[in-house]
Amino acid sequence: MEKILNIISRKLFGGEWDTFRGREGRLAWGFITPTGLIVFGVVLFPAFFSAWMSFHDVTLQNLNSVFSAPFVGLENYRQVITDFAFKFQSIQRMGAAVTSIVYSVLSTVLTILVGLGASLLLNRKFRGQGLARAIFLLPYVAPIVSVAFVWRVMLDPTRSGVINDILIRLGLTSDPQAFLSTRGLALVLVIAFTAWRYFPFAMLLITARLQAIDQSYYESAAVDGANAWQKFRYVTIPRLKTVLGALFVLRLIWTFNKFNDIFLLTGGGYGTNVMPVLTYQFAFESYNFGKGAASGMILLGMLVVLLTVYFLFFVRRGEDI
Amino acid sequence: MKKNDSGSKARNLIGHVANWLNPGRLIWAVGMTFFLTGILFPFFWMLSTSFKSYTEISGGSPTYLPSGFQLDAFMELFNPASTPFWNFGQNLLNSLRVAVPTAIIAVILSILGAYAIARLRFPGKEFFLNGVLLIYLFPSVLLVIPLFAMLAQLGGTFGFSAQDNLWVLTLTYLSRTLPVATYMLTNYFRSIPSAIEEQGMVDGASRLEVIRYITIPLSIPSIVTIATYAFMIAWNEFLYALVFLNSRGKFTVPIQIKTIFGAPTPRPNVVMAASLITTIPIVILYLSIQKYLQEGLTAGATD
Repeated sequence: MEKILNIISRKLFGGEWDTFRGREGRLAWGFITPTGLIVFGVVLFPAFFSAWMSFHDVTLQNLNSVFSAPFVGLENYRQVITDFAFKFQSIQRMGAAVTSIVYSVLSTVLTILVGLGASLLLNRKFRGQGLARAIFLLPYVAPIVSVAFVWRVMLDPTRSGVINDILIRLGLTSDPQAFLSTRGLALVLVIAFTAWRYFPFAMLLITARLQAIDQSYYESAAVDGANAWQKFRYVTIPRLKTVLGALFVLRLIWTFNKFNDIFLLTGGGYGTNVMPVLTYQFAFESYNFGKGAASGMILLGMLVVLLTVYFLFFVRRGEDI
Repeated sequence: MKKNDSGSKARNLIGHVANWLNPGRLIWAVGMTFFLTGILFPFFWMLSTSFKSYTEISGGSPTYLPSGFQLDAFMELFNPASTPFWNFGQNLLNSLRVAVPTAIIAVILSILGAYAIARLRFPGKEFFLNGVLLIYLFPSVLLVIPLFAMLAQLGGTFGFSAQDNLWVLTLTYLSRTLPVATYMLTNYFRSIPSAIEEQGMVDGASRLEVIRYITIPLSIPSIVTIATYAFMIAWNEFLYALVFLNSRGKFTVPIQIKTIFGAPTPRPNVVMAASLITTIPIVILYLSIQKYLQEGLTAGATD
C-alpha cells in the first residue's frame, strides 16, 4: 500500500508520500485545484464543447438533451459562410468577417496613437499632473454601459442631441444627422469610441516605458543639436518599439473579440456588424446554437490567422514583440 | 543687439508671454485642451442630463445646464410611487450580490493559487501558468454559447435553474478574473524574500499559518488591488448577464440600464441618472486606490 502511494505521489506531486516534497506537492495541488476546476469548467471545457456544438444541430428544442443533437458535419459552417451578414458583398456591405478586420485593425492603431499622444502630454512636469492623469483614465475605468449610452445620448439623431446642436450652431450642418444609423459614419464613430475608451490602457503601458528611458540619451542628443522632433524620432520611438508591438497584439486580440461596445452603440446595424455580435445574434436571437458555435469558431480561427500574419510579416526574427 | 532697457511694462509682459508661449508649449496646451474636453464632456453630459426635468429633455434643442438639481429621473429609478418605477435599488443589490462574492472568492482562491505557484514545487506548474494565460485568447461570446447549453443540461439533470441564477454569474466572472488575479499575485509573492517565510517555518509555523500571518499582511496592497479588479469586472460585466438573466427582478445594473434605454418613450435623463449611479462607485473605488491599481490595469485590464 505504502509503495503504491509512493509511486502515485512521486508521479503527481514530485516526491514520496511522506516526504517534505511530497507533502508540499500535495498542498500545492490542493491550493490550485479550485482555480483549476473553475478555469477548466468555465473556459477550457466550454471551448472544446463549442467545437463539438459547431458540428451538431443544436437548437432550443434539443437544448435540454444537448448530447443527442444530430451530427450535421460542416453544415453550420456552410450556413455561416453563405450568410449575407457574413459575406463580403460590396464596400458598403462588407459583411461581418471583413468589418471585423477593418474595425479591429483601425481601432487598435488609433487607440495606440491616441495613447501615445496622451502619454507624451503627461510626460512633463506641470501643476495638476496627478489630477490630469486620473482624468485621462476615466473612459477606461467607467462601466461600458454608462459610457456607451452617454455617447448614444450625445449622438441622438434629433435636434435635441447635443452633437447635432453644436454642429448646427457652428453651421457645419443644417439638418440633424443620424450619426449611428448612417453607413460608413457609424463604423467611423464606433472606431472613434473604441479609441476614446481604450487609449488609457495604451497610455499606461507607454508611460511606464517612457519613464524608464535614461535622460542622458536626450542630453547627448541635445548636445548633438537635435530638435524636439528628432529627439522623439531617434531617441524615443526606437525605445518604444517593443511596448508598441506588444500593445498592438494585446489590443488586437481584445478588440477582435469585443462584443459590448458595438452591441451597445449600434446593435451591429448600419455596416458595423462584427463577428462577436453576429455570433451572438445567431445563438441568442435566432436560437441556432450550432450555427452560433460555428461562427464563434470561425471568429477564433480568424484571430489565429490574423496573429500569425502579424508575427510572420511584421515581427522580424530575433526581435521580441 | 543692445539689451532692452526701454522699461515699458507692457512690452515686458508681451515679451514674457511670448517667451512662455513657445511652439512646444502651444502644442502641448492645445493637445491638453483637446484631451480634457473630449474626456470630460461626455461625463459632464451624463451628470447634467441626469438632473434634467421631463420638460428639459423633451425640448426641441438640448438644455446644457438643468435649472437645478431636479430629481425626476431619480424618482423614476427609486420611488415606487412614480410611474414607471424601475426598482433600481433591487438592481444595485443584485449587482452587489454578484460583485462582492466574486471579489471575496477571487481573493481567497488567487492567494492560494499564487502561493502554490510562487513558493511550492510541484510538477505541472509551468503547464498550469501557461494554460492560465491562454484564456486571454478566448472570446467571451464563444464561451457563452456552450456554457448556456451546458448549464441548461446540468440544471435539467440536477434540478437547478441556470437562468436568473446570480451564483452562475459569479462563477463565470470568477473564470474571467482568477487567471489575471493569480498571475498578478504570483508576481507579487515572488518579490517577497522567501527568507522571511522560512524564518516563520523554522519557528514551527505551518504553511497555512505562514500564509495567514506573514505572506498576507505583506501583500495587502496587491490583495486590495485584486479585490477591486474583480469587483469592477463583475460590476461592469454585460454579455454573460444579458444571456443568463431574464426577469427584471434579477437584472444586474448594466442590463437594467439597457432595458431603460430601450423603453418605448425615450428617457435620457433616467438612463443617464442610472449610468451616473453605476459609474460613481467605480470611480471612487478607483481614485482611492489609484496608485496600486495602475499596475493592475496594465497587468490584467478589463479587456
